Amino acid sequence: MKGGPSQEDIRRHNLGTLLRFVHLRGPASRATLAESLGLNRSTIMALTADLTAAGLVREELPRKPGRRAGRPSLVVRPESTRVYVLAFDVGVDRLVVARVGLGGEIMDRREGTRDRDAEPGELVGALAAAARSLVRKAGPAAVCVGAAAAFPGIVRRADDTIMFGPNLDMGEMSLGDTLSRRLGLGLTVSICNDADLGALAEHERGAGVGCDNLIYLHGDVGVGGGIIVGGRLLGGEQGFGGEIGHMVVNPGGRLCSCGSKGCLEAEVGERTLLAHAEREEGAHPDGRAAVRAVVDAADRGDIVAREALHRVGTWLGLGVANLVNIFNPGLVVFGGTLRDVYLGSAAQVRSMLATGALAAPREKVRLRTAELGDDSTLVGAAEFAFAEVLADPVQVLARLRAPENTPVS
Amino acid sequence: MARWEPLGMSVTPVLDLRGIEKSYGSVKVLHDVCFTAYPGEVTALVGDNGAGKTTLVKCIGGIHPHDRGEYRFEGRPARVGNPRDAAALGIEIVHQDLALCENLDIVQNLFLGRERRRGLTLDEAAMEALAAETLSGLSVRTMGSVRQRISNLSGGQRQTVAIARAVLWDSRLVVLDEPAAALGVAQTQQVLELVRRLADRGLAVVLISHNMNDVFAVSDRIAALYLGRMVAQVRTADVTHRQVVELITSGTGGGLGLRR
Repeated sequence: MKGGPSQEDIRRHNLGTLLRFVHLRGPASRATLAESLGLNRSTIMALTADLTAAGLVREELPRKPGRRAGRPSLVVRPESTRVYVLAFDVGVDRLVVARVGLGGEIMDRREGTRDRDAEPGELVGALAAAARSLVRKAGPAAVCVGAAAAFPGIVRRADDTIMFGPNLDMGEMSLGDTLSRRLGLGLTVSICNDADLGALAEHERGAGVGCDNLIYLHGDVGVGGGIIVGGRLLGGEQGFGGEIGHMVVNPGGRLCSCGSKGCLEAEVGERTLLAHAEREEGAHPDGRAAVRAVVDAADRGDIVAREALHRVGTWLGLGVANLVNIFNPGLVVFGGTLRDVYLGSAAQVRSMLATGALAAPREKVRLRTAELGDDSTLVGAAEFAFAEVLADPVQVLARLRAPENTPVS
Repeated sequence: MARWEPLGMSVTPVLDLRGIEKSYGSVKVLHDVCFTAYPGEVTALVGDNGAGKTTLVKCIGGIHPHDRGEYRFEGRPARVGNPRDAAALGIEIVHQDLALCENLDIVQNLFLGRERRRGLTLDEAAMEALAAETLSGLSVRTMGSVRQRISNLSGGQRQTVAIARAVLWDSRLVVLDEPAAALGVAQTQQVLELVRRLADRGLAVVLISHNMNDVFAVSDRIAALYLGRMVAQVRTADVTHRQVVELITSGTGGGLGLRR
């Protein structure tokens, strides 16, 4: 017979919950923590003492005098300069590496561009170099507690293997292992689907805070999706779930990079929009800038660009209508380039939704743009990287601070 | 943070106008107009040129008080005879020309006419801190220093300052008259997202716009005026682009609007 959770389990859980609270909601007084977490004030004191000893939080007097009478309650702040993660955003044309402090603040970042036909080796080299420079800047007192990368492709959850990345081919290389080795921090770099991370970020820090059923659509060159149901990311059997970009909306339509025809990605992706708008492929500007240029032109009255957005908006609206019927989300968030595409074709998207979705699930759904802007996937990677330390703060930190793991630089 | 149930019918509208009539001399501009704005929602007010949108806004703001009809604010009858009455109720109107002073900085504009005092002098530090807090509460990161002069700001940034003024004074209802009219695409998007964030904070927002994409991107309800009459007030999710354009141009469309 299995007993209840042990004292040790409960303490670990409470430590994690407290750290998670100040990580997501920002500095909070002991009184607020006691109230929000439903724990005794002396328990909070013991927990913060443990976290302070581990160097994860610090306590200080409130900056402004409080409104309550009596001795002011100490404010618990995350140690954002001393505890950090590395977040990688691997886009088809754009690379971002950031050092994100506990509490979610982006402390420092490096951005670069990538040629569409560059070798995988170059990609890893660029990422590792940027990450190493970030680690150096952080100084010897800071500790890196995790690393994760957002990748535009299908990733197997069990071993972080990239199964399919039609717009960014990594060949035989295992991105996670190679990157972990090159960094030499004694950490594994997790690889995740970019749109899944975008969904996570918008749910925890963006437009979807407080909404437990949301769908995030991410546009880069292709279209990805992340679905959050009941507050959890929908992964499916092997973690491949949520590939909204490959939902067929137009049978027999345009050829998709996956080999099928009329996928959402094929009908609303970057190449299709640019083709409808009669922009030459490979012309300058390209990527996100090119999509934005089309939306800009449409807003200034360019009839061809308007027509292109209208056509793309039709399929996007149809796709959203299907999703609304199946998942009954409270919120649909458009991120990446789809943010611009949605704002430029909102009337058409809503029209298709109004005619294509059932009245009951459509009644309460809200369509929003990503509040974190271009950083959705990056912030998502950071949140994913923090997951381990938030689950078991003291143990993980003790392991990382152990002398044999100190990085030699 | 308070959670709002925006689309439920049980919520008391912030603004509820019934049977509003307004004439300028012998010209009757508004005929029996009903209009409601709910907390936590963006209500788009659309209509062709001369349909009466601006007149309706002026009635709401007390600049040109209405002649006849019922004006209810947060469920209670209210008398709005001049702009000061409207401000006292918590109504902030952001006009097309923004009404900002170019030669003053952001803080001075936000507190214009309502400056904080400490003894005989102005409490500059408190005002500056409050201004910075308000802007960051709206997730505005692109502004830089709050001591910049308005004349140095771009169109989108000016619009942001005008909107922030509404938030700072704890308004209940914000009316935005064509906020994106003179802005570029990136700035328009910023302003639209700001409009959405205002509503998410529980304010009632009324947005006047000619751009259907903007209207559909941020609004929860659409109210269409046609030749001084309110032809439809519908949920954005229930109508299509074509229906709204028909309502604006002919006053009827898709089973909505005036009966012929």
